[in-house]
Amino acid sequence: MQSAASSAALRNAITEPAAVRWLVSLAGLGFLVLFLVMPLIAVFVEALRQGIGPYLAAVVDPDALAAVRLTLTVAAIAVPLNLIFGLAAAWAISKFEFTGKSILITLIDLPFSVSPVVSGLVYVLLYGAHGWFGPWLKAHDIQLIFAVPGLVLATMFVTFPFVARELIPLMQQQGTEDEEAALVLGAGGWNTFLHVTLPNVKWGLLYGVLLCNARAMGEFGAVSVVSGHIRGLTNTMPLHVEILYNEYDFVGAFAVASLLALLALVTLVSKSLLEWRFSRELAALGH
Amino acid sequence: MAYELSNYRSNPGGVAVRERPRRPPIIDIEENKPAMAIELTDIAKRFGSFTALDHVDLYTRDGEFLALLGPSGSGKTTLLRIIAGLELADSGTLQFKGQDLLRRSARDRRIGLVFQHYALFRHMTVFDNVAFGLRVKKRRERPSKAAIEERVSRLLRLVQLDRLAERYPGQLSGGQRQRVALARALAVEPELLLLDEPFGALDAKVRKELRRWLRQLHDEMGLTSIFVTHDQEEALELADRVVVMNEGRIEQVGTPTEVYDNPATPFVYQFIGNSNRFECQVIDGHISIAGHVVGASGEGLPNGPALAFVRPHDFDIRSAKGGLGVPAVIRHLFAAGTLLRIELQLAATDEIVEVEVDRTHPNPDLLPGRPVMLSPRTVKVFPSPRLITAQSGPPPEL
Repeated sequence: MQSAASSAALRNAITEPAAVRWLVSLAGLGFLVLFLVMPLIAVFVEALRQGIGPYLAAVVDPDALAAVRLTLTVAAIAVPLNLIFGLAAAWAISKFEFTGKSILITLIDLPFSVSPVVSGLVYVLLYGAHGWFGPWLKAHDIQLIFAVPGLVLATMFVTFPFVARELIPLMQQQGTEDEEAALVLGAGGWNTFLHVTLPNVKWGLLYGVLLCNARAMGEFGAVSVVSGHIRGLTNTMPLHVEILYNEYDFVGAFAVASLLALLALVTLVSKSLLEWRFSRELAALGH
Repeated sequence: MAYELSNYRSNPGGVAVRERPRRPPIIDIEENKPAMAIELTDIAKRFGSFTALDHVDLYTRDGEFLALLGPSGSGKTTLLRIIAGLELADSGTLQFKGQDLLRRSARDRRIGLVFQHYALFRHMTVFDNVAFGLRVKKRRERPSKAAIEERVSRLLRLVQLDRLAERYPGQLSGGQRQRVALARALAVEPELLLLDEPFGALDAKVRKELRRWLRQLHDEMGLTSIFVTHDQEEALELADRVVVMNEGRIEQVGTPTEVYDNPATPFVYQFIGNSNRFECQVIDGHISIAGHVVGASGEGLPNGPALAFVRPHDFDIRSAKGGLGVPAVIRHLFAAGTLLRIELQLAATDEIVEVEVDRTHPNPDLLPGRPVMLSPRTVKVFPSPRLITAQSGPPPEL
């Protein structure tokens, strides 16, 4: 049997020296603490600075509640729509060959490369009172900009790529063999999609939806441009935080921000759970 | 233009003429053709600039077990996928029992398809996988729940997997998965069974067992089946007829015995079984390898360069004391079962020759380093136009 000293020597032969390991780990941890953990803690500290009473009062303030309701509404519309679009786009891209495929892939990535403020501005230029469709919308008494529909549109634009980008590599890797088998067995297009394609991507889909939702609820730039900042009507939670902060209502601002921080934590935990579950299933399915 | 050897047919009694490349005819010894199941005419398929299928004609008899055999890129899988409806042929017709199949989508062709990598639906149990084809039938044609259950159970018993009906594909071995795939394909009672290298992903022992089992199943069911393989042993063992393909063309069609004993082209000879290939000269009906006359199998062949093929078991080895044969030196010996495999090097050209001898009558003279005389008993000769142009200077303009 090997002595402890020689096995330690063997281990040192294939790992970095202890000093390097400690240094790198501490550097990574330090970075995380400085830029992630401390700001998160600061949010809760500031929110509870005057005690739990003012904290709760700020949270149940009517404008704050309206902001929460609006955030949830916008997410509830934008996320399912992006789910459908993303799924359809990924399905077309990974299972079929067609001209313009590479253009579609580039377009899907567009919202990532465009500044959120520009994304919002585009909608104002299109649907605002002086926009391209402005007169037509006014004539039909439809209000998009500075109203909830505009918020939904802007949020959809910004969060569009999440589901598609998650699904495209996954579906490309899975290939078309399962679908071919289903076709030859006599299944039609819809049956094949429902019973073969969709179950194969369910974990990737959930993951994409989770990311999409997190971004939809936290979006600031694009929503800010199209919102009009009408307190109680067109303010989502991030916008409400900005208003409160600008009025020096720090407890209120951080209280609403703490709700967003909690959302971030829930998203993170769910994401980790899905990753763990996903990888376990992949291993169990023998791929 | 480099003349493809595979396009050449040996031309007894005539002069070796450079022919326009034409489709080699399907060699078929039987005069009467029983009821035909599948008939493919003039099928062509290109992927960009790559010709996958070059005007292929083929027919299958009803109830036959046909093998499409060839190396990668020979077009065999493309042909199978065209029959299944997963690829569209550029031209040609496909008839099944007299009906034009090309008009029908893959859904409506009543074909069973087994993939190399099983393509089982990983989120469904074995039972649900097999029942899938029955459950997605149109409402009018769909059997009752009880009927589906009965048929699926019967099929699972047939493939000996009834105990595993509630397992998921990820929990099965490769051989079990392939059997599920087969049961699934058979569930919809197809009129034609297609198998795309069904045992390619399995290890050798499982492959052999499943091979035997598949043949038995076919004999019981009598379902017309076409399977694709690059494993010649598998094709020769299982098939009623073998279709040897190369570079998008059919080289030969025949029973396993025909294809092995009477290969029609050099490609078939080299692909099926082991063989040694020599460049030789035909001089007045005699074959001369490396300057030594080895026999008289060159009768009827034109004088000039040619290619000679000899199977490893078709050699006589004698001690180097003269007589007909080619001088060679033994390099290496090793035993394989009842055979002794000998590697020799020709004295004149340094070519390596592989010979198999029976071990039951051991010859004590067979030792490494010994000079011997190699005398082939059976030689297959193909006159080689490519060698003609190589010897007479640069290729002429066409």
